[in-house]
Amino acid sequence: MATRVRLKRVHYHYPDTKWILNGVDLAIDSGEYTVIFGASGSGKSTLGYLFNGLIPHFFGGTLKGSVTVNGIDTKHTAVSELFSHVGLVIQNSDAQLFNSTVENEIAFGLESLGLSAGEINKRIEDITSALDIADLLERSPETLSGGEKRLVSIVAVFCLNPSVLLLDEPYSNLDWKGIQLVRNLLLQIHQSGKNVVVIEQRMGRFMQDSTRCLIVDQGKIRFEGDSSDAQRILVKEHLVPDYPKRLRQNKLADNDTILATENLSFFIDGNRILKKVSLEFRRGEAVAIVGQNGAGKTTLIKHFNGLLKPTDGKVILQGEDVRGKSPAELARRVGVCFQNPNDQFFKAQVKDELLVGQRILGEKDASGFAEICHVLDLHELLDRSPYRLSEGQKKRVAVASILAMKPDILVLDEPTVGQDGRFKEAIVKILGALENTGITTIIVTHDLDFAQATTDRWIVLHDGQVVADGDPSDIRCDRQLIFKGILDTPAEKMELHAEAQ
Amino acid sequence: MKRFDPRTKLALGMMAIASVLFAREPVSLLVEFAIVLSAVPLMGLGRKLLHSVRLIGSMIVFVFIIGFFFFDLQVAGLLSIRLFTLLTVSFIFFYSLDPQEMGDALRKMGISFEFSFILTTAMRYVPMIGKKVRQISDAQQARGIDLRPRIKNISNFIALLMPLLVQSFILADDLALAMEARGFGSKLRKSRKTYHITIIEYALMALSCGSLVAFIWWERG
Repeated sequence: MATRVRLKRVHYHYPDTKWILNGVDLAIDSGEYTVIFGASGSGKSTLGYLFNGLIPHFFGGTLKGSVTVNGIDTKHTAVSELFSHVGLVIQNSDAQLFNSTVENEIAFGLESLGLSAGEINKRIEDITSALDIADLLERSPETLSGGEKRLVSIVAVFCLNPSVLLLDEPYSNLDWKGIQLVRNLLLQIHQSGKNVVVIEQRMGRFMQDSTRCLIVDQGKIRFEGDSSDAQRILVKEHLVPDYPKRLRQNKLADNDTILATENLSFFIDGNRILKKVSLEFRRGEAVAIVGQNGAGKTTLIKHFNGLLKPTDGKVILQGEDVRGKSPAELARRVGVCFQNPNDQFFKAQVKDELLVGQRILGEKDASGFAEICHVLDLHELLDRSPYRLSEGQKKRVAVASILAMKPDILVLDEPTVGQDGRFKEAIVKILGALENTGITTIIVTHDLDFAQATTDRWIVLHDGQVVADGDPSDIRCDRQLIFKGILDTPAEKMELHAEAQ
Repeated sequence: MKRFDPRTKLALGMMAIASVLFAREPVSLLVEFAIVLSAVPLMGLGRKLLHSVRLIGSMIVFVFIIGFFFFDLQVAGLLSIRLFTLLTVSFIFFYSLDPQEMGDALRKMGISFEFSFILTTAMRYVPMIGKKVRQISDAQQARGIDLRPRIKNISNFIALLMPLLVQSFILADDLALAMEARGFGSKLRKSRKTYHITIIEYALMALSCGSLVAFIWWERG
């Protein structure tokens, strides 16, 4: 069997950083489907950038040892020659898709190969009809769903006919339907005889498709083997979360209603995003709003703090209609923490970032600040730049900056996206501690395991409407919802955990 | 018009913009305004234009107020009409010319691939940056930072600018990486699209150019 990629005693660091890879030996043979696991900061993406010569040619830094792809030494070959051997799909779809239409996107790489117009058009036609995506060709990448974006990103690279297809976190930010779409495509590509290399930090059913799993930690390959052995180690090392069983809170039925929506509808350009949503949240409750991407979850929570005004119906916060109140005013009562922590940071130090809230409130008393730092374990980060933190640390700072306004309700939008198992376990603990302070938490997520570990009530949104509201264990097994494709089949993680044990 | 060579579209668009800029007489400006307004529904762009007007409306109102206080009602009205006509012409121009086509047109005119690609990619990312601004603004308002357009909030806008700058740099980095990985620097690169300007397009450009010169001549009287 031919060796596609071979790394010999590879050490690497980016300019001005410490060593990221510390002696990696690896051989990937033709026809393999390899999954490379690692927590954030483990060096797994760096390892991938070696395959197509982005390291050292694009990133610079110091590279020791040798990397060969199809027998070509990457150190002495330009990326513009290697891209036809190793196709890379990066995590950031917005950057990956830089052309104005899907057709131009697929054509871009083929143009780089210097193919004739006739050959390019034929390849586009062949691949789009084989994958049944011809209807996307005229569309602009911005108008695609998350799953479609990832699909087009992969197709635009796969059509170059590379022998190795390398994907950095292809399943991140997708709901289960998007995951299924990408998983099927990768299986098809592997079955066509290509090497598939997936870099991931989350465990999932896609592992069953792989022929080999690697686990990278601190710049070294810690494990090589099949997927079931890898699962065992991933669970043991907390690279996938192992949540404690949640103890239900039953004493809330008598609590007063803190937030309610009455027949809330919302339209954009004539398109209905929310339709007659009526909900009540009780003080101290822990609720999850679940549903696929595009179901209207984020649009709904933006009404809670006045960022969006209802087209029809109203939002009642602590007995008062929020209409006419500014989001900044409402932040003292409803704190919403959105998905991307980088949207919030503008100060040089974490400490100043957190004090923004206190300054707005005009408070001199530092006890609240100390308490937040304690609950979110931020003491060691206070003097650091928020931009230089790990993804998990950034998320903690972002949540803290919302809590600094001392809201009665905390709303978290997709808190687990892009986070590894250790962080997810940490946030479950943090939410537990916050619950003890009496705060009401509303979590928007498509991560059902996380929702089950943190909440006692689920609201399922589909196509802008509430289709279920009740006990998580009942909803998770609701055959109607699963059959209609609104929820994934239950307990993927539990199956995997059981297999691992 | 959608089928024209991008160079024809570029030339016609530039001449239309020039005709608005050179119009001095109120009557010519009003005629241009009427032509542009009737062209919009004919091209089926009514709803799209209305959406954009909501964004540029405040700018037109601002120009009107300044014009009214510093000059008079007629000047203020004409200034606003000129601005509206100019923005609408640009809107029609950018709607009918895909950024990629604009890049192709520039390349055909002898501008390097790298430069034209950077220009068209920048255009492609304008709506995305707009979306990012909204996301950042939402995230900051949700933590109590008032970003409503008020004088007292001016200093708060650093909370919008800093994350936008940082994330634009991150996007630019990722974009460079993605482009490199798809052979942006390849010496073999060839564009798949071939364009040619038809006789009708040459005639249309000559006619438009002649009309523009005659119009400017007449205006200067």
